Amino acid sequence: MADPIQEEINKEVAAHKILIYGKGTKQMPMCGFTRETIQFFDKYGYPFELIDVLSQPAKRDALAKMTNWPTLPKVFIDGQFYGDTDILDPMAAKGEMEPLLKKAFGK
Amino acid sequence: MITPDVLTAYVRQMMPDAAVTVSDRTGTMDHLKVVVVSTAFAGKNLLDRHRMIYQALDVPMKDGRIHALELTAQTPPED
Repeated sequence: MADPIQEEINKEVAAHKILIYGKGTKQMPMCGFTRETIQFFDKYGYPFELIDVLSQPAKRDALAKMTNWPTLPKVFIDGQFYGDTDILDPMAAKGEMEPLLKKAFGK
Repeated sequence: MITPDVLTAYVRQMMPDAAVTVSDRTGTMDHLKVVVVSTAFAGKNLLDRHRMIYQALDVPMKDGRIHALELTAQTPPED
């Protein structure tokens, strides 16, 4: 029987083209990096989902193991893991973000 | 709170040739901007480079001496 948390994560990742696991909510981000990640995606104007894992420690641990990435926020685009803005910013600087998002949203 | 040379020592345990620059983002020496330049990153994508740094700093992150990290990982020629 697959781990229920793992299944829940897989469903969430599949359900949202841009998914951020972070601290707090869109209206009330609880950490600078989560806020930075929201602002990053606001620039592109595509819809994204923020799931607060501050209140879900088991999911937070499962995510850290699954991605071998110890920190939050964690960003998934089109089902792929991309770390956080330390990864996204250099990608955007090299012009890789726009085509990636266009492909994800099938534009 | 962690000092730059303690942080550098942790990084060098994993990447002996690493040049490490640490800057304090909030004045509390636990929200840090860290730049690591090492040949060990050669041929590795950004995610794996950052994973290497997180592995090297696993202990001070787990015991709370480091609260937040902003990372840059480059190979020497890119520097």
